Amino acid sequence: MHSRPCLTTWLYLSPLHLLLLAMLTVPSLYVFWLSLNGSSYGTGLTWVGLENYRAVFDDPYFWRAALNTFLVVNGVVYVELLFGLALAALFVSGVPFRGVMFACILMPYAISEVVAVLVWKMMMDPNIGAIARTIEELGLGRVNWSASPSTGLVLVGVINIWTHLPFTFLMIYAGLLAIDGSLYEAARIDGASRWQRFLRITLPLLIPTLLITLIFRLIFAFRMFSEVWLLTKGGPARLSEVLAVYLYQHGFRYGDFGMAAATGWLMVLGSLLLASVFLFAMQRGMKGGE
Amino acid sequence: MSDAFSPIERFARGLLLGFILIWSVAPILFIVSSSFKRQVDIFVYPPKIVFIPTFDNYLKLTSQWQDFFTSMGNSLIAAIGATVLAGIVSFFGGYAYSRYRSRITAWSAVYMIAVRVLPPIVVTLPLFPVADRLGLGDTHLLLILLYATFWVSLNTMIMKNFFDQIPYELDEAAYVDGASEWQLVSQILARLTLQGMTAGSIFVFVFSWNEYLFAMIFTTNQAKTAPLILSELMGAVDGTEWGVLFAGVSLQLLPVVLLVTLARRYLIAGLTAGAVKG
Repeated sequence: MHSRPCLTTWLYLSPLHLLLLAMLTVPSLYVFWLSLNGSSYGTGLTWVGLENYRAVFDDPYFWRAALNTFLVVNGVVYVELLFGLALAALFVSGVPFRGVMFACILMPYAISEVVAVLVWKMMMDPNIGAIARTIEELGLGRVNWSASPSTGLVLVGVINIWTHLPFTFLMIYAGLLAIDGSLYEAARIDGASRWQRFLRITLPLLIPTLLITLIFRLIFAFRMFSEVWLLTKGGPARLSEVLAVYLYQHGFRYGDFGMAAATGWLMVLGSLLLASVFLFAMQRGMKGGE
Repeated sequence: MSDAFSPIERFARGLLLGFILIWSVAPILFIVSSSFKRQVDIFVYPPKIVFIPTFDNYLKLTSQWQDFFTSMGNSLIAAIGATVLAGIVSFFGGYAYSRYRSRITAWSAVYMIAVRVLPPIVVTLPLFPVADRLGLGDTHLLLILLYATFWVSLNTMIMKNFFDQIPYELDEAAYVDGASEWQLVSQILARLTLQGMTAGSIFVFVFSWNEYLFAMIFTTNQAKTAPLILSELMGAVDGTEWGVLFAGVSLQLLPVVLLVTLARRYLIAGLTAGAVKG
């Protein structure tokens, strides 16, 4: 039972849409305008057309940041999906002390990125860190994780997985719970092994959940800033920058809002492209009766 | 029971579970336990598991790092403000999306989710000069508005799902009894959707309490939040103050870790409402 919207409907919706309009939509569109102008910290605009985009595309640091973002995002998201799936399957089939286990696995979800970077940087420090020293004791060598761009980015990836695995796990777990239990019952009576049931029932039915989780995580990993900024500041020699750090450097360090805005608008387009699959499915859901 | 796990399977399951437990909890235990250790014991290798606890670090924290407690206050103001604002806004939004439907509401809901995917750092560019001119730079209000904005979309979807579970017949019965729409929403439905509001509030509160990017760009002094202060201390501490830093970090993380672990039921309800069914 749904009514047609009337004036009061829009009154109920107005605080929501005012907030979104003022803090998100108008600023995001204004970024496009900023990207077509040169400015000093966003004031005193002078029209330059597509000059900022040309500067961004000509900048090898931009491509380095784009490549880093691509590598870290993909590395992180697929590892997480795999671990999240294994973990969720484990929980659905029953674990001892379920409540306590659940609480433990969710803990990193409550930790600030600042704290996550602090503790991992600490544990990976070649002089004082417990993990780094264990790696050394095992004869795997002494690595100064924060010193080179590639190991720095690996550590960024590890921290990212640590903070976001609870989200991925919860999404997949909820998806697993939604699968009709009688399907498994029927398959078991027909003599299907546990592995067969997982491959033939669980996985196919879980694909929508996995897709949505994947899209969400891609979008959220794509905007990654704090981990990189706090761990390496994008260094050494700007080689470990990701796109958000590149934007921040140009906007707030070099005061070049034009190039920063061009990068920002490219990030907006990238995010919307990633989200379009989900939004398309959602629009059909909202319009239909259910 | 042909369905029991073989010994090898049981071993593999135990291994995975053990690994995930250590992976999730060990870093947090390391910080919290280090905050009770003497400076010389913190970086002993292999780490000391049994030690005599000391409260020196916490005493030092209260006597030397006044800024940290001010910043905890600022974090609390920003987090509570954002939670309340987002809660009210998404309560009404969720009601409207649940009870009214047309092509325009469908598109406006899609738009609501679409803007949610925009990277936060993008809006800092245009908001930076504007906030400055409006005198909103370095204020709690700006942080509250920003944090609420980035969570109203998910919260509204959570509320919509909770409203959807309340049968429309209840609305009709209230109207028959002579209630106005405002009375129905603010008195009857508000009470029935408390669970949804709790679920949404936890997300906003935890996010706002921990947020770093906006706090770094938009606060300089008055409204500095705890994560920002911790990040500055992290770069500044020398050899003798790690214990004090760990004490500060423990105070910052314990309330939200407790909140998330105790209220995990609501997290699941919120995530399933906001995303999977969305």
